[in-house]
Amino acid sequence: MAKDLGPDAETLLDIRNLSVDFRTPRGRVQALRDISFPVRRGRIVGLVGESGSGKSTVLWSILGLLSGNAEVTAGEIMFDERDMLRLGEPGLRAARGEDISVVFQDPMTSQIPVLTYARQMFDILYRRPNLSASQKRRMAIEMMEKVGIPDPESRIDQYPHHFSGGMRQRAGIAMALLTGPKLLLADEPTTALDVTMEAQIIHLLQELQSDLDATIVLVSHNLGLIAELCDDVVVMYAGEIVEAGDVRSIFHDARHPYTRALLECDPARISDVSRKLPVIPGDIPDLTRQRHGCIFAPRCPRVEEGICRTTPPPDARTPGGHARCHLLEGPMRDPDWPPPHDVVTVGRGAIPKAASESTARDAPLLDVSDLNVRFRTLSALRARLRGMDDPFVDAVLDVSLSVRPGETVGLVGESGSGKTTLGRTVLNLLPAHDGSVRFEGREIRNMPEARFKPLRRDMAMMFQDPVGSLSPRKSVRALITEPLQIHNVTGVDLDAEAQRLAEMVRLPKPFLSRYPHELSGGQARRVGVARALALNPKLIIADEPTAGLDVSVQGEILNLMADLQAEHGLGYLIITHNLPVVRHVSDRLAIMYLGRVVEEGPAEAIFRAPLHPYTQALVDGVPQPDPDRRRTHVSITGEVPSLLNRPKGCDFATRCPYAQDRCRQEKPPHETRPDGRKHACLFPLN
Amino acid sequence: MTLYLVKRIGLSLAVIFLVVAVLFSLLYLIPGDPATIALGPRATPEAIQRYAEKMHLDEPVWMQFLIYVGNALTGDLGVDVFSDRPVTAIIGERIGFTLSLVFAGMGWAMLLGIPLGCFAAVRPNTWLDRVTGVLSVGTIAVPSFLVSIWALLIFAVHLKWLPAIGAGEPGELGDQAIHLVLPAFAVGLSWVGYLARMVRASMLEVMGETYIRSARAFGLRPRRIVYGYALRVAILPTITLIGMGFGGLISSTVFAEIIFSRPGIGKLIFDSVMARNFPVVQGGVLVATGLYIFVVLVSDLIIAWLDPRVRESL
Repeated sequence: MAKDLGPDAETLLDIRNLSVDFRTPRGRVQALRDISFPVRRGRIVGLVGESGSGKSTVLWSILGLLSGNAEVTAGEIMFDERDMLRLGEPGLRAARGEDISVVFQDPMTSQIPVLTYARQMFDILYRRPNLSASQKRRMAIEMMEKVGIPDPESRIDQYPHHFSGGMRQRAGIAMALLTGPKLLLADEPTTALDVTMEAQIIHLLQELQSDLDATIVLVSHNLGLIAELCDDVVVMYAGEIVEAGDVRSIFHDARHPYTRALLECDPARISDVSRKLPVIPGDIPDLTRQRHGCIFAPRCPRVEEGICRTTPPPDARTPGGHARCHLLEGPMRDPDWPPPHDVVTVGRGAIPKAASESTARDAPLLDVSDLNVRFRTLSALRARLRGMDDPFVDAVLDVSLSVRPGETVGLVGESGSGKTTLGRTVLNLLPAHDGSVRFEGREIRNMPEARFKPLRRDMAMMFQDPVGSLSPRKSVRALITEPLQIHNVTGVDLDAEAQRLAEMVRLPKPFLSRYPHELSGGQARRVGVARALALNPKLIIADEPTAGLDVSVQGEILNLMADLQAEHGLGYLIITHNLPVVRHVSDRLAIMYLGRVVEEGPAEAIFRAPLHPYTQALVDGVPQPDPDRRRTHVSITGEVPSLLNRPKGCDFATRCPYAQDRCRQEKPPHETRPDGRKHACLFPLN
Repeated sequence: MTLYLVKRIGLSLAVIFLVVAVLFSLLYLIPGDPATIALGPRATPEAIQRYAEKMHLDEPVWMQFLIYVGNALTGDLGVDVFSDRPVTAIIGERIGFTLSLVFAGMGWAMLLGIPLGCFAAVRPNTWLDRVTGVLSVGTIAVPSFLVSIWALLIFAVHLKWLPAIGAGEPGELGDQAIHLVLPAFAVGLSWVGYLARMVRASMLEVMGETYIRSARAFGLRPRRIVYGYALRVAILPTITLIGMGFGGLISSTVFAEIIFSRPGIGKLIFDSVMARNFPVVQGGVLVATGLYIFVVLVSDLIIAWLDPRVRESL
């Protein structure tokens, strides 16, 4: 569709000098300042930045769907020779969904649960009165087929909750493409999905783009996704564009210190495995204050007081791109900047000596063997009525796992793999069906709470949602010392204890009187760590310790955890789906699929040579922040089967590219290799 | 679904059984001879004797209870102490007046309250929203018997637009409808406030959901977004409230029925309590309870019909 408009109309969307303020009780937040970038037809432009960078605000400005307290103070958004900012509501509404469409971040919440997909898609086509209902239906079915939804004729009449996460996102893409929009906006399209689903959606978007020659603006914090999909990249920080350019120049020749630091912080990119991750110290600036000069200066390792207080000139060296930094132009110009690729420009702190070697022969702190956790799916009466003998699912099936003092074990799996259930069962928050859970040699499975409570002091939990797991009505001081009060610890000065713990997690003293909603994600995490440490535990179970954190901050939390481990000899069980992160911090990994551990062994060995095809799929599924390493195929197709109908043979056989007849017949037993690695595969890869 | 219905009906029967047991034991918990209680202090010994035989008062208590339950199941709720007419027939005559009042009262409250709540939620903090908010609280706070009296004084006594008392001539629907206006207004007024507040609160919540933003991003018309998307989700908790309101109104219309002298169930129960006509009280309360349970069941089924997630979990 782009081709017949002639070569002079090469720019489809042109954002010029866009500034947006939000009126808040704290004052005016200058969310966007002087944003300009063009989007050429047929290109995928990536807007990348951390939270608070304003990347989503740009997206919603294009559609005129900013929240009520937003005010566009300057600029224009030219789309097809119209200024979207001066179009008015009827004109905008005509453009939304027809000319410009959106793929949303979380398909679980962005589709209305009470209407079928057929209904939702008819609604989008309401501006086509010349189409009959059956024609619209056919269009919708064809689009669903195109995005890879099997059996679209019947699935179109289903509701969103009938679809799995990946299928929902496919349906979301089908809805966005239904009208054949000229511009597609994608807001973190894979963030809510598992690794294997993410890989499939990336692949789908690549295919559709080359098929339809679509123009896409992709907003994401995920550098791998940007590298994998985009032609051009715009890097945003705190409401400004710090650097823009084509994807190769950004990823291979980043010239702004922020871009450079952001790339260095991405754990997927760092090839040398180290306990310490690089971090960008400091926080995003307060956007209610007037700022002068370079926005990144307060956190920049190369800052020079006088010069960096003035606005850096835009330096345009690469075609179509520019970076705004004094290091590139003017008196501060440094011919050696940027340094070669392998030089790390941001700090990571002292690397603690690995604790694992000295303790490898210690008796395990936590020893789980053949643990089974089953959930009832139907009441006894219903089960009998439906003729089911066994109305249970195995959420955790024959899991064996151990954690030694000073050791970090990563428990990796996608959603529904049973990893969180396992964590909760270990903490005696869920009853186990059979098997054993030993803590320091003592059987604790299904121990009555009265007897188990003293043991809770030795096993702490770091919860997944850092803010949600903190009571909003308690101050940080009260939250940190809450465990002491629950366990009736007497004879300690709670205030002094709160200060000691806050210091330990590097939380400045004034924060003790703050409340959870006043904390940033990273600070709330640190409160969570402090709470976990309050009773001097021996084992910490951390459920997704870095979920929802920006790359520049997640390193801080992981480094802090590593330091505390080296100091106190803590054992960590880290439950996560984030493979790049877990690779850096874990001594050993256990990979779970459908409630079963399919592979277990030293982290480094598993990454170097995975034994189980599922592990390999997970390792390959992580999008690499390197545009030269784009994948051309998806290594794993299909979806995680429901626990309700667990495959007869190997659980993974339905999706395994190497599956043979035997795999579909018998369940592979757990095998231990001479080097101590364990796997459950009949035909291991290496 | 079938299993769900069976379960719900079973539960309903259990509740009704419990109500029957409480009603039945009432006669025995009040000190004195049940026959004397039932017939009042001025009953003659012959009347008491006759009553005792008819009510099987010489049988053991549990037997009497079983007889009562058995009779109730076959539709026999006993006879009026004074007129000797079957209670079922008396209730049958009156139930229509109560039901028409409840439907009319709740009906106009829904027709006004739900759109008001929607308008207020779509334009929060505008004058319409503020006025709706103040009026809602006002109508909720004023008791319905006060509304009844004022409505009666203004529209019937002073303006003489509408009839003051009675339910209209039997068989004449137009006349009955005119007699329904004032009581229905009085009964429904506070429900306008309840519903407007409830709908506004849940609409505000739903309008903030991501899927509403999606619908806007796809360029859907505001009307379709508000009524086809947001209201469809926001109405669900309100339906539960309406169901319970219907049930509650069946017994709480008593004020309006007394003030407007409508021969409904509420007034029947009230009069029978005053006259110590216990069989009628028992029958009336039993029917009111049964209707309440039925209406709540229907509202749950409507929710299941509107929300596929609920439907499939049944």
